[in-house]
Amino acid sequence: MINWISLVVVALAAISSACLIVVLYSLGLRLLSTAGRTPLAIPAEFTDAITIVTPAEAAAEAKRIRKAAKRNPLSVTQQRLALVGAYTCFILCVAAVLFGIYLIIPAFHH
Amino acid sequence: MPPQLHEIPMNSTRSGVEGRGVDCALPHRKTPVDLTLIVVLVVALALFFDFTNGFHDTANAMATPIATGAMRPKVAVALAACLNLVGAFLSTAVAKTISGGIINEGSGGVSITPEMIFAGLVGAVIWNMATWLFGLPSSSSHALFGGLIGAAIVGAGFGSVNYLVLIDKVILPALFAPLIAGFVAYLATKLAYAITRRYDNRPDGRAGFRYAQIFSSSLVALAHGTNDAQKTMGVITLVLISAGLQAQGTDPQFWVILACAVAIAAGTYTGGWRIIRTLGTGLTDIKPAQGFAAETSTAATILASTHLGFALSTTQVASGSVIGSGLGRRGSSVRWGTAGRIGTGWLMTLPSAAVVGAIAAFVAHLGPLGVALDAVIGLGIVVVIFIVANRNRVDSKNAIGGVNEVAQSGRAVRISKGTSKKPTGKRRDKRDAA
Repeated sequence: MINWISLVVVALAAISSACLIVVLYSLGLRLLSTAGRTPLAIPAEFTDAITIVTPAEAAAEAKRIRKAAKRNPLSVTQQRLALVGAYTCFILCVAAVLFGIYLIIPAFHH
Repeated sequence: MPPQLHEIPMNSTRSGVEGRGVDCALPHRKTPVDLTLIVVLVVALALFFDFTNGFHDTANAMATPIATGAMRPKVAVALAACLNLVGAFLSTAVAKTISGGIINEGSGGVSITPEMIFAGLVGAVIWNMATWLFGLPSSSSHALFGGLIGAAIVGAGFGSVNYLVLIDKVILPALFAPLIAGFVAYLATKLAYAITRRYDNRPDGRAGFRYAQIFSSSLVALAHGTNDAQKTMGVITLVLISAGLQAQGTDPQFWVILACAVAIAAGTYTGGWRIIRTLGTGLTDIKPAQGFAAETSTAATILASTHLGFALSTTQVASGSVIGSGLGRRGSSVRWGTAGRIGTGWLMTLPSAAVVGAIAAFVAHLGPLGVALDAVIGLGIVVVIFIVANRNRVDSKNAIGGVNEVAQSGRAVRISKGTSKKPTGKRRDKRDAA
């Protein structure tokens, strides 16, 4: 019959790995905008991206980000620290994903 | 005299309920179909099944990045196709049994003949085409199991199906896959929004999740390639072995791997735009943070399930993730009507494919003429479905076209750039509209 233990193990593994990657990347984004380097990822096609729907709005958003970066309440050192933190998060996130790829490819562990 | 083609050789290392030792029963058949004809037909049909599998499952990986504008639709399906192609070559672990123990193969059970496989594939392909027409994401492996079950019941009676394994491998996973994936995606979405939420009205950078989406959806596509192309390789290899064209216990031949990889990649590139529309815009309005959370959850759940021994369907995991991410964002809503339609599709996949497979098996029992009739009728149905689908064409240009309304309504609720420090209630919902 059904293997409940492996079901629970699967659920726990999925929760922990997905949350780890999402937390790392979100934290990276958060620190990036704290450091005044908010990324502006304009949609490849203007579909349902609610805050940026048209090219004009993309330009307005870019302007807003520039303005916010200029008036950053943090000191230069604090901003640098945040930037280092952001890059650390992104690197850890990439490492986690690479580990996932390593798991997918059976050639690596047979 | 044609060589025996009754037995699909079993691997003796199968465990648990499936373990049935060495095969010995060789049931007789009245009208042997020309061996090469049936082998060619099964291989061709299996490759077409692989193709439908590809375009059915493009949406699992690429619906969300297309919907959030992380990638242009054509770019997204091309990327998915490449990763499926690569994935098919990466993994060589091919299924040792066609039905995975659902049908009592081997000694004391039935022997799966190439005609049965053929009938089962007809059932699976027709069900895949029908669900594609309605834009329903449904599991291709369940369709294949269903077709085989129908064919086996017609060929060898109801006793040929192992119902315990059926519950264990199909019905319960179908229940748990969306639940687990939905919960993971819900949690991940909550976390993504909580971490990036700002109360000081400075830009939150959530658009940056679009970059991450490219990678998370690629991971899903790669996982799909390593999983799904193997199924068809297994079917073709087992048929070749049973026809005496390949030695027992050998790995799939190179042309089989190549053909399956190309078929699934071509299917993926064709893109099941109807299913992309359903998953990308039908269930909930996906924002980049949600898309990233959903794709990461899908990838994590699929990887965990394939590597920890509780196989879950990619399609069901992906749909569950999208629903979970819809529940996780404040101010977002899930269209439960669409979710219900998808759920009904899942419930019907196995029985419907079984019915089609049973009819096909019944006709195939007439002998070579029956098999030819099956092939012609099956082809006819596929062509009809394509013609019907063409009347209301959905392609890369209009798959997410309906979303403009959402964008419009989104503009209507744009956040006023007020100065309030502590947003409450509705204002908080609007703040998370990105």
